[in-house]
Amino acid sequence: MIAVYIIIGIVVILLFFFFGTYNSLVRLRNRVKNAWAQIDVQLKRRHDLIPNLVETAKGYMRHERETLEAVTNARNLAQKAIGTGVGAQSQAEAGLSGALSRLLAVVENYPDLKASQNFLALQEELTSTENKISFSRQFYNDSVLNYNNKTHMFPSNIIAGMTGFKASEFFEVTVAEERIAPKVSFT
Amino acid sequence: MKCPTCNNLMIVVEHNEIELDYCTNCQGVWFDSEELELLLESISLESLNLFLNNIINFPEAKSSEKKRRCPICGQKMRKTTIGQQPDILIDVCQQGHGMWFDSGEVGQLITQLLDKPSERADTQGRVITFLGEVFRARD
Amino acid sequence: MWEQIRSNQIRSVILVAAMAVLLLLIGYFLGVAFMDNGIGGLVIAFVIWAVMNLIAFFQGDSILLALSRARKIKRDDHPRLYNIVEEMKIASGLEKMPDIYIIDDPALNAFATGRGPKRAAVAVTSGLLQKLNRDELQGVIAHEVSHIKNRDVLLMALCGVLLGTIVILAWYATHLLFFGSMFGGRRSSSSGGGQAQLIILAVGIVLMILAPIIAQLIYFAISRKREYLADASSALYTRYPDGLASALEKIAGSTTQLKSANKASAPMYIINPFRKKGRAATDLTSTHPPISERVRILRSMAGGASFADYNNAFRGVHKGGKGIISASAIASAGAVGLRAAEQEDAMRETEPGKVERSRQVSDLMWQLNNYRTITCDCGTKLKVPPKLKKSSVKCPHCGRINNI
Repeated sequence: MIAVYIIIGIVVILLFFFFGTYNSLVRLRNRVKNAWAQIDVQLKRRHDLIPNLVETAKGYMRHERETLEAVTNARNLAQKAIGTGVGAQSQAEAGLSGALSRLLAVVENYPDLKASQNFLALQEELTSTENKISFSRQFYNDSVLNYNNKTHMFPSNIIAGMTGFKASEFFEVTVAEERIAPKVSFT
Repeated sequence: MKCPTCNNLMIVVEHNEIELDYCTNCQGVWFDSEELELLLESISLESLNLFLNNIINFPEAKSSEKKRRCPICGQKMRKTTIGQQPDILIDVCQQGHGMWFDSGEVGQLITQLLDKPSERADTQGRVITFLGEVFRARD
Repeated sequence: MWEQIRSNQIRSVILVAAMAVLLLLIGYFLGVAFMDNGIGGLVIAFVIWAVMNLIAFFQGDSILLALSRARKIKRDDHPRLYNIVEEMKIASGLEKMPDIYIIDDPALNAFATGRGPKRAAVAVTSGLLQKLNRDELQGVIAHEVSHIKNRDVLLMALCGVLLGTIVILAWYATHLLFFGSMFGGRRSSSSGGGQAQLIILAVGIVLMILAPIIAQLIYFAISRKREYLADASSALYTRYPDGLASALEKIAGSTTQLKSANKASAPMYIINPFRKKGRAATDLTSTHPPISERVRILRSMAGGASFADYNNAFRGVHKGGKGIISASAIASAGAVGLRAAEQEDAMRETEPGKVERSRQVSDLMWQLNNYRTITCDCGTKLKVPPKLKKSSVKCPHCGRINNI
């Protein structure tokens, strides 16, 4: 009789453990999804800002057609990469970052552009969007780390395996690309 | 802000990105220490604290003029002088909130500037020059 | 991080419970002393506390913001501030954007208030906006946002109410007791209940004197720990502890005292607004740890921006000993790198300097106060208060008459 009670007890505990772990896996996976959506929002914002930036810069930068075109092209590529998966998208975005930083480097030679109110406002938006992208990436990667830990570590990995929770991909930016990422900076 | 002399509402005059409070009634000028700091940073080597301490610790001027109250903290201000020969009588807040120039004092520094312009290279001289420049057509 | 918040919450609940017991004890003794009914006093104390809690919960943030004369701003009023708050909202994973308020005050300070992550506000002084650069402002906002994220805002509001109730009740009690004993004590003759009553009264008097002090110490213990945690979170969110460190240095170096702060709202601020110049805040009796110490911890976070790095830096500054962050929180996160300062790159010349920042902020304050700006043909700007009874002003620089 006692043995039956013990078995029932163990089963109940296991059930509680199962559902508890399952729920926290769902919660962590949702956080990862939301974090990814947030990155998307910010990337879209960046894509929306660029035509504006190019338009403003055009008026002042007569000799930089190539640089401006490179930015527009990189932006279009990044636009196309939306929805093609984390890896491909981070590649395309890194390309855009590179083109942008080259543009911002030549802005140095155009004091009139740098001083224009329109450009200053755009620059604040661009700086902030870059920051928001990196902060949302930061939060995404933290969320992925938490989630992946849960799917890999014992004993939650058993339940993750049984119910089909797979590890998520980090939003990686390789070191070389990070270095050329645009630093629109001012205070 | 209210004028420490006639209690009228003052307007703000921004010149070269420095704001001054100006009484359209009695034509006195309040130079706030926040703004003074901005001016000092752009023109000279002296820090605000040093500049204000120099003025506050300068011997109190003997004057029959009425004591005025600081428009920021409401405490009585100290009568003192800045510039050299002839020096200009001003009121300075002992808490370091700013300086008050009566109408006559502003007029005095404008005429001084007309007499011998650009002779003053020290910090006080430059502050006076700035004020005179801003209010050169006030009456 | 979540573990840290949870373990902090347990500790805080215990401390709050201790304060609540203290309050109920005061109520009990007040009841014994004045109504011959300990339970009655207890119930009255409880009711007072409950009512004040309700007020704090539903209106605490609005009251605090109104007392500080804070003005709510929109995105277009100050894009940089709005962007920075949004950045920190993203970095902390906060679900809702907090409201943003500006206090028209040259002193350098900031606070967060609200009920929790879903209803919260951050307020900064105009002086802070003028004096801090982007990195520094980001550090401060991160500190405040983490108060919201860590749910410190409601806890501190409720603790403040508890402390306030204890202090007020104890103050009245000691004065009434003193008053009563001067007139021979109306009760001593009536009951003649003997020694037991006297002992209770004696204990009560001691309690009345000690309770506010004990409650205050508990309160400080709660709030100081939260400040360290908010600093650590700020470093973690921004990945740049030097930003907050340099902001704290600027704040410490400023001599202007906040005009609208009062003792009850002091713990809400990023630094104690009643700090006296030249006196390092003392250890136990301060709501905030000394700034110099907070700066030293942040500055010595050399290896990274994680809680583990903050904890190591904390122990380094405190010469070994126990850390400030629980072990489970440190273990839950991986290594976190630092980022480079934004100013280090070539674009620095375009950043608005202190003068431009000042004009941006002061123009916003004029606008919020309904001043009209007239630009005279000579370039001088005249900013006219709404109540000025004049139809035109003369430009003092060039002599032109400008219509208002």
